[in-house]
Amino acid sequence: MAAALQIKKPVVRRRINWTPYLFLLAPLALYVVWIIAPTFYTIYLSLTNWNGVDPVPGFVGLQNFERLFTKDRTFSEALLNNVRWLVVFITIPTTLGLGLAMIFNNEMRGGRWYKISFYSPLVMSLPVIGLIWGWVYHPRAGLLNGFLQAIGVSSPPGWLGDRELAIWAVIIAAVWRQVGYVMVLYLAGLKNIDPSFVDAARVDGANRWQLFRHVVLPLLAPVTTIIVVISIIDSLRAFDLVSIMTRGAQNTQVLANFMYIEAFNNYRMGYGAAIAVVLFAISLVFIGFYLSRVIRDELEY
Amino acid sequence: MSRNKWFIAVLLISIALLSVASVLAQDNSVAFNSYSSDPVPRAFEESMVAAWNEAHPDMPVQHSIINHEDFKQAIRAYLIAEPAPDVLTWFAGNRARFFIDRGLIMDISDMWEAEGFDDSYAPGFNALATVGEGKYFLPTSYYWWAIYYRPSLFEKAGIDGEPETFDQLLDACDKLNAAGITPFTIGARFRWPAAAWFDYLNMRTNGPEFHVNLMLLKESYLDERLQATFANWQKLIDRKCFVESPAALDWQEAVDDMVQERAAMYLMGGFIVDSYPDEMEDDLDFFRFPIIDPAIPVGEDAPTDGYFIAAQARNPEGAKAFLAYLGSKEYQQAAFEQMGRLPTRTDVDISGATPPVQKGIQLIQSADYIAQFFDRDTTPPMAEVGMDGFMRFWDNPADINAILQDMENERLRILEEESE
Repeated sequence: MAAALQIKKPVVRRRINWTPYLFLLAPLALYVVWIIAPTFYTIYLSLTNWNGVDPVPGFVGLQNFERLFTKDRTFSEALLNNVRWLVVFITIPTTLGLGLAMIFNNEMRGGRWYKISFYSPLVMSLPVIGLIWGWVYHPRAGLLNGFLQAIGVSSPPGWLGDRELAIWAVIIAAVWRQVGYVMVLYLAGLKNIDPSFVDAARVDGANRWQLFRHVVLPLLAPVTTIIVVISIIDSLRAFDLVSIMTRGAQNTQVLANFMYIEAFNNYRMGYGAAIAVVLFAISLVFIGFYLSRVIRDELEY
Repeated sequence: MSRNKWFIAVLLISIALLSVASVLAQDNSVAFNSYSSDPVPRAFEESMVAAWNEAHPDMPVQHSIINHEDFKQAIRAYLIAEPAPDVLTWFAGNRARFFIDRGLIMDISDMWEAEGFDDSYAPGFNALATVGEGKYFLPTSYYWWAIYYRPSLFEKAGIDGEPETFDQLLDACDKLNAAGITPFTIGARFRWPAAAWFDYLNMRTNGPEFHVNLMLLKESYLDERLQATFANWQKLIDRKCFVESPAALDWQEAVDDMVQERAAMYLMGGFIVDSYPDEMEDDLDFFRFPIIDPAIPVGEDAPTDGYFIAAQARNPEGAKAFLAYLGSKEYQQAAFEQMGRLPTRTDVDISGATPPVQKGIQLIQSADYIAQFFDRDTTPPMAEVGMDGFMRFWDNPADINAILQDMENERLRILEEESE
């Protein structure tokens, strides 16, 4: 059979059609200039002690990384805060968002209104959210302490000014935004579930929990994967809220803000680049996992 | 085939058009980047630029105001850009020196001489402008730091007279606490107001000479003398002189504590009056940070602001003309009359100064040493670690030795970087 096919193949030399390549040229050039080249340049900078103004960066090898992992207490603080952020992000918004999606997937009075109100934080930019929550946490006039005082708490905490609580206060502001996002993704996933599966399970006598646990949840697995990966990446690049709400003071430093402070406030471009490389390496693990999942799924279909 | 040619032609033409457009954008304007983002200075600067633009339609100034904190971080990017913005706001002293040493600030000696600034600027500010043989920086205004307070609350608590010694200050704290008024408010959410406490406590405890050497990284943070500084700070904390959570508020939010009579005092720069309600300013006064050791010279924080021209400015001639305007008598007179900023020129008429401003001038003139401010006198990374340390100290004073060790580590690291 294979031999027969080979014989049938025309032996005409085909001219290459350049048009698609020409169209690809512009986006590829942009991609190389703005993404690929800066990535490699950052990796190079992370091996230098460049201060941002000297014409030639001084090469220092792995010294920046050595300092990061052995001597820098702010780095460990930032790393720990990113881990806290990550753990909260893949648990709380995911379960809350799934719960909300399950509720709003049913027809109900005013359902659209509720969906919009949970989704609305997402249309605001993060700095605006940071400002709003800054007011919510205001120790004297804020919504939160106003409420606490109204129910009889005599000296409520200072929230963003409290070294123990500040990071959690910032993370909660981020969660508030993320819940609506996760909800919308799950709602879209639920809409894609073929009703015949649900009907079949009902005919088989499954109760609501069994229906959710053994039918709906497994069918939502691809969406869940995407949500978990998005949550991880979002928590690793957390920057805006910290920068607006505390600028990293009161034990709220995160890697992205720490990188920014080192590079642009302390003028240690090389050191900042090293932090960026560490952040990139951590992200790469999850992005690699995500891509392998997506590619495998595509092959399956 | 012909279709491909057509496509390439369109591509090339659009590239050509874009480059022509960018060439046409060149003109005789002056780009002026400023950090005067608080409402009062912003309005003042905008009106002064508008006046310039009216008088010089051929050389308009393009004025960009950038948030103060963001400006500090963006300035390096501005200065190494080609072309850089022409005229920029900046701080005198160490912060300007860093860029001058790296050749990023233009020598303005010719403008300085043509305008006769040697004669019209006070000698101390003349010195701030000079590096080696050249003039680089144009210092235009300064303000004082002091303890601001509400006389009515002092009266209510039975405090007679402004505290002049540290013991009197502690005594005032006790009286205010007894009257149910928080002695000091502070808004250190972004940390820098805490640095003023360190500056003053250290200068009053150990003298300005030790302080300035510490700022220049010539003294160790493990020095015994710093223990005494923090012991004094500890006394204030122990006597409950401060508001409960010093890091909870931004500096402007803390002003409300005084307005609403919750707190009586605030260690702050003269710009506090910009955020204070005008109709209540009759009940706002200030006094010099109390003396701890009468035997040592008195240092004060008086940060000086000014302007410079970037070395890679696109329009140096226009920039110098505009800079001469910014340094002119008229400009400083207006800044003094409208904002109460103290002039660096000696020929500005200050006879119309309100009593508080005359008191402020007196405060600075009677000082033996003028410091800029913690984060202007020392290097940015040292300021970053230092301010973080002050906030840690405030949260847990028992941690002081670990905090000082972290500060010392940072100092050694910076010295090592500088020697590389």
